[in-house]
Amino acid sequence: MLTMLEEVVLLAVDEKTGQLRSTREFGTAYALVGAVFFDLALLRKIDTDTESIHIIDTAPTGNATLDHVLSQMAQRPNLTTVRAWIEELFLQRADLEGEALSSLIGQGILRHEVSKLLWIIDVERFPMVNNRHQQHVKLRLAHAILTDDIPDTRDIMLVSIAERCGLLNYVLSSAELANRRERIEMLCNLETISRKVTDAILNLDNSLRQSMTKVV
Amino acid sequence: MIQLTQETKSGWWVVGVQGRADAEAADELEGALRAALEAHPKVAADLAKLDYISSAGLRAVIQAARAAQARNAEFAVCSLSAPVKKVFDMSGMHHILRIHGELPC
Repeated sequence: MLTMLEEVVLLAVDEKTGQLRSTREFGTAYALVGAVFFDLALLRKIDTDTESIHIIDTAPTGNATLDHVLSQMAQRPNLTTVRAWIEELFLQRADLEGEALSSLIGQGILRHEVSKLLWIIDVERFPMVNNRHQQHVKLRLAHAILTDDIPDTRDIMLVSIAERCGLLNYVLSSAELANRRERIEMLCNLETISRKVTDAILNLDNSLRQSMTKVV
Repeated sequence: MIQLTQETKSGWWVVGVQGRADAEAADELEGALRAALEAHPKVAADLAKLDYISSAGLRAVIQAARAAQARNAEFAVCSLSAPVKKVFDMSGMHHILRIHGELPC
């Protein structure tokens, strides 16, 4: 089974061109950190509540990215809030996207191609070897959003991360998303980590706006 | 640490939940609620004595609600303690669950 991080990065691959869609760069980085926390929560390595994040089990998961984050968390017991950890990992700029891509290539789901633009600039592409994995992710998202069924908790997490990354536009039409906006917000709100990712993004947006105002 | 009790009240099978519903207790809580839903058409979780619920605990309740929907069974949570009600309110759990103030449901 793919990790939440791998599923979100796979969703960001354009199935026609193999290029990565990056719609909200800073927001995406925060959301990918959120995806790692969801992966750790699903593996019962961490738990969260409205205020804090706790490590339950430091035994390795077998996934290099998750184990790296878990190890960092174990070394910083003084950092206890979800939002502080989201911002800490964002500042360290761990290449979560790159590690997820490598893993997807290693699993034979994507392949890596480099071509030249104007004979000078390297352009990376990640064409799909088989698109059934991405289709599966899209189908789960569509079902969670378009029906009134209670989704699996993993799919609730997936909706919230895909929404924060701005990737739902590649799954459903604008009209479908507009019609189901209330449902999407409701699903995103169910998860503490998702709410904290939103807080972190809003905080970053405000900081950037203040910086721009000072410059002007 | 979580303690679970089971009893029948006014046609509902009531699972009483006491203590802390966190990552360590989530599997036990989900398992008890699922087992009750497999055996009874109307199941309520009495959370009056639940002091704390984490994200993992909430997910256990969501998974139980999902199982109830799949079986076309009735599932409700009742008598939320103040700290648990705060968490349910923040998460908007009322959108997917029947939440009642008191027993019997």
